[in-house]
Amino acid sequence: MRKRLGLLFWVSAVYIGVLVFLALFRDLLPIRDPDALGIRTGDCRQFQDPGWNSYFGCDNLGRDLFSQVVHGVRPALFLGFTVTIVSGTVGTLLGVLAGFLRGVFDRVVTTIIDISLAFPALVLLIAVRASFGNGIVVFIVLFSVLGIPGYARIVRGASLSLSEREFVDAAAAMGATTWRIVRRELLPNVFLPVLSFAFIGFAVVILAEGGLAFIGLSLDQITWGKLINDGRVEIRDHPHLALIPSTVMFGTVLAFNLVGDGLRSLVAPREVATARRLIAEGSHQPGEEGAVVHVRNLRTVLHTPGGTVEPVDDVSFSVAPGESLGIVGESGSGKTMILRSIVGAFPLADVTRGGTVEVAGVDMLRSPDATIRRTLGTEIGTISQNPLTALNPVRRIGDQIIEPMLVHGTRSKQEARDRALELLEQVGIPAPEQRLREYPHQLSGGMRQRATIAIALANEPQLLLADEPTTALDVTVQDQILRLLDGLRADRGMALVLVTHDLAVVKGFTDSVAIVYAGQVVEYGPTAEIFANPQHRYTVALIRSMPNLDLPSHSELATIEGAPPSLIDPPTGCRFADRCPAVQQKCRDESPVRSGTDAHSYSCWFPMSAQPVEVS
Amino acid sequence: MLMIVLRRVPRLLFVVVAVTLLTFILLELTPGDPATLKAGLAGTPEVVEELREELGLNDHLLVRYKDWAVDALQGDFGESVVYEDVSVSSRIRSALPKTLETMILAELMAFAIAIPLAIRSAQKPGGWVDRWSSAGSFGLLALPSFVLGIYMIFIFGVKLDWFPTISSDLPGLFDDPAGNLRGYFLPSLTLALNLLAVYVRLLRTDLIETLQQDYVMLAQARGIGTRRIMWRHVLRPSSLNTLTAAGLNVGGLIGGAFIIEVMFSYQGMGRILIEAVFGNDYFMVAGIVAILSVGYVLVNFVVDILYSVLDPRIRTVDA
Repeated sequence: MRKRLGLLFWVSAVYIGVLVFLALFRDLLPIRDPDALGIRTGDCRQFQDPGWNSYFGCDNLGRDLFSQVVHGVRPALFLGFTVTIVSGTVGTLLGVLAGFLRGVFDRVVTTIIDISLAFPALVLLIAVRASFGNGIVVFIVLFSVLGIPGYARIVRGASLSLSEREFVDAAAAMGATTWRIVRRELLPNVFLPVLSFAFIGFAVVILAEGGLAFIGLSLDQITWGKLINDGRVEIRDHPHLALIPSTVMFGTVLAFNLVGDGLRSLVAPREVATARRLIAEGSHQPGEEGAVVHVRNLRTVLHTPGGTVEPVDDVSFSVAPGESLGIVGESGSGKTMILRSIVGAFPLADVTRGGTVEVAGVDMLRSPDATIRRTLGTEIGTISQNPLTALNPVRRIGDQIIEPMLVHGTRSKQEARDRALELLEQVGIPAPEQRLREYPHQLSGGMRQRATIAIALANEPQLLLADEPTTALDVTVQDQILRLLDGLRADRGMALVLVTHDLAVVKGFTDSVAIVYAGQVVEYGPTAEIFANPQHRYTVALIRSMPNLDLPSHSELATIEGAPPSLIDPPTGCRFADRCPAVQQKCRDESPVRSGTDAHSYSCWFPMSAQPVEVS
Repeated sequence: MLMIVLRRVPRLLFVVVAVTLLTFILLELTPGDPATLKAGLAGTPEVVEELREELGLNDHLLVRYKDWAVDALQGDFGESVVYEDVSVSSRIRSALPKTLETMILAELMAFAIAIPLAIRSAQKPGGWVDRWSSAGSFGLLALPSFVLGIYMIFIFGVKLDWFPTISSDLPGLFDDPAGNLRGYFLPSLTLALNLLAVYVRLLRTDLIETLQQDYVMLAQARGIGTRRIMWRHVLRPSSLNTLTAAGLNVGGLIGGAFIIEVMFSYQGMGRILIEAVFGNDYFMVAGIVAILSVGYVLVNFVVDILYSVLDPRIRTVDA
């Protein structure tokens, strides 16, 4: 996809083009001699205001400010250009080598960078200028030397991360020489970041000259910095003398920055996240008595910059206290989004949810914010897939467990602390006193998952939502965590919703199961019934792909060919049609309707119980 | 923790030594003889030679550097060769507080404005606060302090006449706080606006990244309010890059101080350094550069330590 650079980029580019033109042809233009004294020639009065006679006005000697500004373009651009080329080239090479070779070379380069950053550049400038005069070459050399560390630092950082990437490893493994890797793999990859930094560096050079002019150390010709500094004295009575060249310089620097930024946006796409708003559609239908969580016709639409995605499409289920429901599907099937839709926590994107989500009698889509937050905090506990990212790395375990209790005012500070200890013991974390004071990184993955379970249990919720709670853990730990969850559910009479892709887990730990495919529940019923008598072809395929210890050890494991359809633009008809062994034309044309009983329902035109169909 | 601190010390010392030694070498290259300067009009060749001997100028550069460094460690930076009976330390003592005050005020102002702006922008990316603060910080980045200062003086000093534009004889902070702060307001704001632009951009990006983390979504799922999530859960893990920038910016601030002090006419470190370099005031330059570089190195050292305070993971990882 081609990215647009935007109007500002092109305006800036044109402005820079005009400057280049002025720098090249300044002597051919029909403008006054910048050094002609207007008060003597009578062309321009002393301190004349800007007008038709002199566009930018005149200074104390009647010199025309417009032609002075035009004459200042050449030194600014020339200095910027040469310095950028020299320091950019040298800095890039040093940076690439430091980042790639590492070791001694890297240490030397970084130390030099450190020193040069700590050294007041002005001292160097003044000293060198005093010894070598104020010709433009002196300035070019000086600014180039001073500019090198900036480039080297950026490029070094980029090369460090690049050199860990596979393609560099691969090149090295194939016996490419260092120089070849640098030239063929690294330099092309740092080129664009360097180019975008170069535009900003260009601007910095123009500014540096201005700064020097400001303390009376400029070039031996008319420069913007000099004009600004001369005009500054008259700021009270004739502000145009300082304000006009300042503004020209500002515009120039801005133009270079904008072009640099535009180029950078080509490499690193600007994140286009929109505000996260939660929108509710449709109306609430109260669920039957006795269910802790009741979901009916839930439909979730994410409005992402890349398009509209519908990861949850007409999903219904309910779970009674003490029962557990398994939600099963492949990755990308939208099963995690079902949980997210219950609690209303999404990444940055506008989200529309329709249908009914009711937890402990509260409408989770349309109630006032405070009510929803209170229900989330006291009735629902959430456990996420990856314990490594589920805990805030900079907060103590204890604080994270205590927080929900304090925020929702269920316990005093002391009570909350005692409860935290009790919880850690319950979830099987040894030495809880000490753990309270520790940070997440000090715990193993399994221990962290136990800690997130402790947080989820803090306010004694009626509903526990667990999103693949064991996928990120060692096999030996997986079973412990599942047993812990199952025990907690039984002891406290909680409802448990367990999202997983592992049918063995479903079989062992759930009362009922919802099979999810491409955002839809394709089959729903009691776990035992589903395993004994699956109806949807997808369920059948899933069960066949389970490793079965009863079969002879060399039997082939069934796999499901193909991949699930995209949720951005799902196909009409049955979404499983492309992968279904029993597909018919009807499947591709019409979406299957839900059939079966309330206890065991499925959406398939040709379920297993129907007349056998010819497999073509 | 202590190990991290100790491990960095040799490197810090090395940087300080390198910077001051470099200054000595540069001064050596600069034309003009300090002894002739000090002797002034009475400078017969004999007097000058005597002074050279007395100032140690006939010794080898390294010997001179060593002598100077040993004295400097005891707080004695020598005497000005331009002014009669003025010690380098006394000049620095009067100049340093002024520069420090502007720099600290500038950092405080920058953070006071940048943090709420960045938070607001990150909460509603693409909203009007976000769009205006992005555009504004982009513009500010293109405004060097000498241009910004001119605008400031013109608007607040000349047109509106709210603040003094000359800060030379300001009352001390503790004698007349209001008068003092009024005087330092414009120079500090000028420095702050440049910093501000950097901080808003960095912090906004990092906040948005942290907001996408699992633990933030889980906090939402626990019914914790947006404001609490932002201040208690998100701000701290997002602040590392901004903190680094704040440390590195001290270098920029020192450069900015040169300009600001000339523009607002007060005798801070930058201004006396410029004077000293132009006047070939040998020991004055060396002393000021030493103090500035030690300051810069120390600030970045503190930043490193703050790092491990903010992010407990760094405490145990070998840095």
